[in-house]
Amino acid sequence: MSAGGRKSGLIPFEAASGFLMLLIVAAMSFLACFALAGSLGTTRVANSWTDGLAGAATVRISAGEEDRARRVSLALDILRETPGVLDARPLSEADVAQLLTPWFGSTPQIGELPTPSIITVKLDPDMEPDPEIVQARLDGASSGAVYDDHGRWRNRAASAARAVGGLSLWALGFAVLAIAAVVYLVVSIAMAAHKNTISALRLAGAEDRFVAGVYQKRFFWLGLLGGLLGAVLALVAFLGMDALSSVTSALPGIEPPAYWPFVMGAVVLSAGLVALLSARVAVLTTLRRRA
Amino acid sequence: MILFENVGFRYGRGPEVLQGLNLEIPAGSFQFLTGASGAGKSSLLKMLYLDEKPTSGRISLFGRDVTTLTRDEIAWFRRRIGVVFQDFRLLDHLTAAENVALPLTVAGARESAYRDNVAEMLQWVGLGDKMSVRPPELSGGEKQRVAIARAVVASPDIILADEPTGSVDPEMAERIMSLFMEMNRLGKTILFASHDLAMIERFKMPIMSLHDGTISATAGARA
Ligand SMILES: Nc1ncnc2c1ncn2[C@@H]1O[C@H](COP(=O)(O)OP(=O)(O)O)[C@@H](O)[C@H]1O
Ligand SMILES: [Mg+2]
Repeated sequence: MSAGGRKSGLIPFEAASGFLMLLIVAAMSFLACFALAGSLGTTRVANSWTDGLAGAATVRISAGEEDRARRVSLALDILRETPGVLDARPLSEADVAQLLTPWFGSTPQIGELPTPSIITVKLDPDMEPDPEIVQARLDGASSGAVYDDHGRWRNRAASAARAVGGLSLWALGFAVLAIAAVVYLVVSIAMAAHKNTISALRLAGAEDRFVAGVYQKRFFWLGLLGGLLGAVLALVAFLGMDALSSVTSALPGIEPPAYWPFVMGAVVLSAGLVALLSARVAVLTTLRRRA
Repeated sequence: MILFENVGFRYGRGPEVLQGLNLEIPAGSFQFLTGASGAGKSSLLKMLYLDEKPTSGRISLFGRDVTTLTRDEIAWFRRRIGVVFQDFRLLDHLTAAENVALPLTVAGARESAYRDNVAEMLQWVGLGDKMSVRPPELSGGEKQRVAIARAVVASPDIILADEPTGSVDPEMAERIMSLFMEMNRLGKTILFASHDLAMIERFKMPIMSLHDGTISATAGARA
């Protein structure tokens, strides 16, 4: 009599198919955690790169040009008159040499190399000048200077981040779809196996939503459990990755953000909700088709 | 309460099982339905517990045309109709008490609210000591009495019975018949199908005979 009031025991359910779907939901939740980490991580890395590059530009006057000192001061004058430019200053030869060190090594002969002259430009981030206009003004004075606001790099970083983000979204979509599909399948099989029980419930006056409720409840918990399993595995994997501190120091911004536990919680909850919804749809469509 | 107007019925594209059927069963009456095996008794009852729809004509139940009912309305109507089958149709994984409680459970009632009611029902059918026994460990007569308790536990207005004595010995059949008589005395409308004319004739209740898909004769009067 004790189970008389409990809905869950009304329709038997095979533990084996529950375990099967638990594994698949766990795998999908694991995948979803990684997809989200990938998407959030790349966005943050890209932002930190582009933020670092924004508000700055360089002007280069190549080593081959005649009369470089005059050209540099000409370019400086033009730049300082350009709206949106906060500051422009030439790098000393020593600074340039230091910049080139990674490529040439710190050889004393670096001064003999034909190094270009470089002007670093600080821009007002709120009103960066149009690089084409700046270039046109530099050309107008035939300074031979080449203006570079790193726009190409910023665009590339941003579009790479967008591409990874897009891929992650697809992975996330597939994870949701896979959970929904496996739940639909398992519910359909379970309903076929207990067809007589379900028609006895209907005959006793059960509404469709009552039958759906039995499965919804069961699959919500299974989805939640599978989701939790996958998220915990993902967390373990992240921590393992974190141990490779070389990765995080080389790519600042890739370490998990503070809100990461909430993202994982959302993945777990979503696994439960997707399972619940799919179970409901499966029950309602199966019952209508049977009638 | 139950009204058939020129009802015809067939399974899919099969032959006519019932045709030109007219009948009226007033509230509170006890009506036997007889006829040879294959005459269409079970089919007629299926339409009444809303498992099948008439192919032609009209069936009114509680004043509603049954073909217009939505799935939820069908569920609600079924709570006002108790059904007893020859093959019991109990759920083997539930105890006798849980089986009896089924119509209350699916209607959303709490166990604490109906526990006493269920116990009382099982006592009424003489199974007060088998509450937590599951159907596989019950005899045919016991199973059928659990099914009868299940059919009446939610106080339906109509009780349909499809050969409920067909799988039990004559002594148990007698006992089961008396339960139906008692339910009728308590005001339930009863439609009782059986091919065993010899048995039902002893109860002095109206008898309809199905033959060639329609009612061929009515006999007997209310006792
Ligand atoms: N599910 C079904 N599908 C097709 N034909 C059926 C089905 N059930 C019963 N029949 C046919 O309908 C006729 C009436 O059957 P039934 O209503 O069970 O009669 P009874 O209960 O009087 O023995 C029979 O010819 C039977 O073969
Ligand atoms: Mg029959």
